[in-house]
This record gives sequence, structure tokens and C-alpha cells, in this order.
Amino acid sequence: MKFKPARSFLFIAGLLLICAPLRAHHGNSAYDEEHWITISGTVTEFVWANPHCQIFLDVKDDKGALVNWAIESQSPGILRRNNWTRTSVKTGDQISITLAPAKNGAPVGFSGNQSGKIVFADGHILKIDIR
Amino acid sequence: MRGCTRFSWTYSLTGLALLLIVCATTSAQNAAPHAASKAASTPAPKRDLSGVWQLQGDGSQQPIAPDADMPPMTPWAKAKFDAEKPGYGARGAAGGNDPILQCDPIGFPRIMMMPTPLEFLQVSGRVLQFWEREHEWRPIWVDGRSLPEDLDPAWYGYAVGHWEGDYTLVVESTGFRESTWLGPTGYPHSENMHITERYNRVDHDTIIYDLTISDPKAYAKTIVTPHRTLKLKPTGEIAEYPCVWTEENSFTKRIREPATPKNNQ
Repeated sequence: MKFKPARSFLFIAGLLLICAPLRAHHGNSAYDEEHWITISGTVTEFVWANPHCQIFLDVKDDKGALVNWAIESQSPGILRRNNWTRTSVKTGDQISITLAPAKNGAPVGFSGNQSGKIVFADGHILKIDIR
Repeated sequence: MRGCTRFSWTYSLTGLALLLIVCATTSAQNAAPHAASKAASTPAPKRDLSGVWQLQGDGSQQPIAPDADMPPMTPWAKAKFDAEKPGYGARGAAGGNDPILQCDPIGFPRIMMMPTPLEFLQVSGRVLQFWEREHEWRPIWVDGRSLPEDLDPAWYGYAVGHWEGDYTLVVESTGFRESTWLGPTGYPHSENMHITERYNRVDHDTIIYDLTISDPKAYAKTIVTPHRTLKLKPTGEIAEYPCVWTEENSFTKRIREPATPKNNQ
């Protein structure tokens, strides 16, 4: 039997295909979950509501103008399970938040799975690792 | 030549090992922080599924089955399928007309494909399922009755069950409203849909969950879903997760619509 690099490559490529569904998050199609970004700014509102909590954040754009970002999170029950509370995020907090931005370019994003996180000015972090 | 064979296998096996590590790490993300439960070797209680359980996966709601495993649709079903605009899967687009965006009940069996926990309770003659999602529930009658004839369509249908041995609950259900989708990627069903589920408790902490859907008005063959795993969450609690229309409507105006191209709204 000869060494067949093509066969080995196909074998590994096949395994990657098997793994891919585990890694993809199949998120809402509005968001670009292939390109997560981190933005920093000042919290203007934290909405603790079912079925979606939401975070609103003033962020300076390239020209220094303030843009209010709207960010989708998870349900209060899921956030609680990840050690968030309704007062974990407060108006006026300085945060950096990692999110999947809207594909249409609007200042909207999704930060509701294990790829998202919030880093506060004092360094503490909020994540969503479990459902 | 033997050296080359070993070389090939060494590379392949190394690749396999690395990929398995990647897969295991990513699939464990959803489950890891829960408190460790009893060892899987602890005997499972007989004819008892009581407790909080959670579907294993990547943390997303799951399609009923991969597109490739869905049987051919009848013209009646295909017309409904073509009218669906899901937010997930190969046809997924922002916006769309998924009924749950209007807070319509998620319905059965789609509710079983949600990543949030559900709780089983057993009372005389019934097994009750409570889902965190929607804070909804259904009874499964295990008192020997048969499925009634001429049921009025219901979001969660009508379910009867029986035990096969001590560890498998088999559930038959029908009487469903046809406005619900089978999953987040769409796929319609008719009021005649008949579902058979098997909850096979293979060890103390694990249920293998299988489901088949027979609906000749909509599909040429029975839909056979992939094996799914439910894991026991001994310290789990069911939280409220209703779709509150006023809050969903506000979310739609402030987040969903701004993130949706104008031609899809």
C-alpha cells in the first residue's frame, strides 16, 4: 500500500466536516457570526426582559460622533444561570463587548453565546457559556 | 512501502486525535459548568424520568433533522415550505416569517429542540413535561388509555405513553395545529401528524431521545430524526422564559428590524 497524501487529506477533510456542525452556532441569520468584533463605550440601557435581554451602548465612531449600538443577549433565565443579574450591567458602565455585528451594517449586534463577552473597566468579565 | 503506510496512518490518526479534542472541547462548552451529577454507573431508577434534563448540542435550537434526511414533500407541503422564510439554516435570512417571532406558541415537537432545560414530573397516571422555553407543559397519559379519535388541533397535541421494560418511555401523540413549524429551519406538517418518541434512559444521567414523524399528507415517508442526548441536571432549575408580546414587540422595533434589510421586513 502506497502513501497516498490525497487519501489522508480527504480523510481529515471529512472529519472536519463532521466537526463543523458542533462548532457552528447557527445563529440568527441577521448577524455575521463569522466575524465577531469588540466595541467599547458607555452603557445607556440594560433591558432585562423575556425572551431577549438587550444592552444599549454609546460608542464613538471613526469621526468621534456617538453611535448608540443595540445588542441582543439571552433570556433572564439563561443569564442567571451564567451568574448575571438584572443589575450586572448598569447605565453609565464603561464596557467592552464582543458581538457578531448585523450583516446590513446597522449598529446592532448579537452577544448571546459563548463567543460573546463583556469586559468591565475593573477587569471583571460576564460571559454566556451555558443555556 | 510499509513505512509509507505507517506514515500515512500516523498522520491520519494524529489528525483524528486533534479533531476529536476540538470536537469534545466545543461540545462540552454547553454542559461543563453544571455541577457534577451521580456517576453514570449509579443505577437509574426504574420507570422514572423525574428531574431536570437538557438537550446536548452547541447551544442553539436544532432543526428537526438535517435537510438531507428529510423525505420528499407532497405538493401540499412543498407549497407551505416555499412560503416559509426561516431565520436559520440553508434558507435562513434576516427577518422572515417564523411564527415564533410573533410569540405564537413554539408547539410540539419543536419545543424539544430547544437548548434550555425541561423537567419531567411523574404523578398518578401521567408523566408531565415542563419546558423552560415558553414556561409551557404537556401531560403524557400513561394510564393505559388510547389516543382519542377526532381531536381538536392543539399546539402541543395529545400524548399517551407506555413503558417498554423499565427504562424506555414510548410516547404516541397526535392532534396538532398545523400552523407550527417542525423546527427553526422551517418544514411544515399537517393536522394528521403522528409522532412516536422514545425516551431511553441508558444510564442514570442520560436519555437517548428518538423521534419519528408520520404525516402522509405532508411527506412521502416517515421522518426519522437523529439520535439526541438529554443529560440530567441534578441542580437544575426551570426558569421563566415566556415570549412576552410587549417585550418581543419592543425588541423587534429596537433590534430585529434595524438588523433586517428593508426588502425582508
